[in-house]
Amino acid sequence: MTNQTIMLGGGLRQDCDAISVMKAGTLRFSKPNKYWVESSQKRYTPCVEDTVLGIVVDSKADNFLIDIKGPVLAFLPVLAFEGGTRRNIPKFEVGTLLYLRVVKANFGMNPELSCTDASGKAAEFGPLKDGYMFETSTGLSRKLLSSPTCPVLEALGKKLSFEIAVGLNGRVWVNAATPDTIVVVANAIMNSESLSGAQQIIMVEHLLKNIQ
Amino acid sequence: MEGRLANAWRLTANDKSFIRTALLSEIRIDGRKPYEYRKIVVKFGREDGSSEVQLGQTRVMGIVTAQLVQPYRDRPKEGILSIFTEVSPMADPSFEPGHPGELAVELGRIIDRGLRESKAVDTESLCVLAGKFVWAIRIDLHILDNGGNLVDAANIAALAALLTFRRPECSLGGEDGQEVIVHPPEIREPLPLIVHHLPIAITFGFFSNDSILVIDPTHNEEAVMGGRMTTTVNANGDICAIQKAGGEGVPQRVIMQCLQLATAKAAGITKQIKEAVEVYNTERALRKIKRHPTSTGVNVKERQDQSVGK
Repeated sequence: MTNQTIMLGGGLRQDCDAISVMKAGTLRFSKPNKYWVESSQKRYTPCVEDTVLGIVVDSKADNFLIDIKGPVLAFLPVLAFEGGTRRNIPKFEVGTLLYLRVVKANFGMNPELSCTDASGKAAEFGPLKDGYMFETSTGLSRKLLSSPTCPVLEALGKKLSFEIAVGLNGRVWVNAATPDTIVVVANAIMNSESLSGAQQIIMVEHLLKNIQ
Repeated sequence: MEGRLANAWRLTANDKSFIRTALLSEIRIDGRKPYEYRKIVVKFGREDGSSEVQLGQTRVMGIVTAQLVQPYRDRPKEGILSIFTEVSPMADPSFEPGHPGELAVELGRIIDRGLRESKAVDTESLCVLAGKFVWAIRIDLHILDNGGNLVDAANIAALAALLTFRRPECSLGGEDGQEVIVHPPEIREPLPLIVHHLPIAITFGFFSNDSILVIDPTHNEEAVMGGRMTTTVNANGDICAIQKAGGEGVPQRVIMQCLQLATAKAAGITKQIKEAVEVYNTERALRKIKRHPTSTGVNVKERQDQSVGK
């Protein structure tokens, strides 16, 4: 192998000269040089640049403590907002749902989050109002975010209008005009995990027929 | 402390208000109607007296065992019935290993009261030698997964296990007829328990806005609801027990409404339990038939053709 800098993602670790795999899953590669191991679990291992849905647990002087379904709570600095200064620190109640980006995720330390993208703009991050949040496995949330669009979301989108936020930590938030649309979307997504593309479309048609 | 915080299950403020808003339009988050029960699946293990019940995502296992003991002094001719509950931390992050919390104790007491006060299990038939030996029936309930409404699921598991349990037959012998001989199951077929009726526990959840009532609350609904009530009724319409511990107050007509709903549901659930037990008993009887290995016949014409061909 030629001299090449390889970036190791989640599931891989470097011990001196050897690279060892830390969890079971599929080895994925993305150009030019990123390798990582992908698997589906209920708990989440924080990774840098992931977008996650977090719940506020507590607020301290410098950070908010956020639960992102990881091994430890994550910190969200009070200044990590667009145009954030000491004067306009937002007030989040315990139980607020936030859409966040993971900035630092080192083994053994509390991960650090942010409500801005890499350039400092707000870009859809921040608190989510109303709607309903439910939990899924990490594999299903990756499927929902993959492109081309996941069949279940496409089939639902043809008939219903709703808003959705998917966290890579296994949390999905849905909002729509009426409660029964929200319930149908949530149940359709939760049922679609073990179904193939064609089966997902059939399942969605079945659910939609029941409410109309 | 932080580790425990990270593992706790939380409900967002969005979910709390959504569950309440959706209930105003009579919609529950799993798509059920307010008075609809989740799907109940009753399975049995290989041993007599072990059952596993699934109520949606909630799973409970019930195991019944029996032992010969000395009866209580004030009831020398009655057997003993006791219920033990074990909650595993795998079922819910709020359960701690070791000593059972308030929830486990309350669960055990509701099921115990339903079975004991209504005399569902006949304890007098459990007496072997009055004053000396009686059968002590022990029901162990293991909570495997908490998806809400543990009481109902645990109650069905206890009933299913009791109906399929078989105790060894024993007779009195010895010189003065005071010795108890317990016959092993291979010699004498073990006997089922005498269960007069099945007390079914039905749990209701109350929500404060507009006094909304739901049956069989899920885990999320339990975290949001204002109060709960468990009524234990049987298919004949008898009320065996009612438990309403704390929570918000409800008017009398709501309690009467709950009792009527519970009696209607109890009939359906009793039928389901009895059907599952029937299937298990048939399977058990088929297992007992010993087939002689050489008794399967061979086609006579085939053998003739073979010998002619040679």
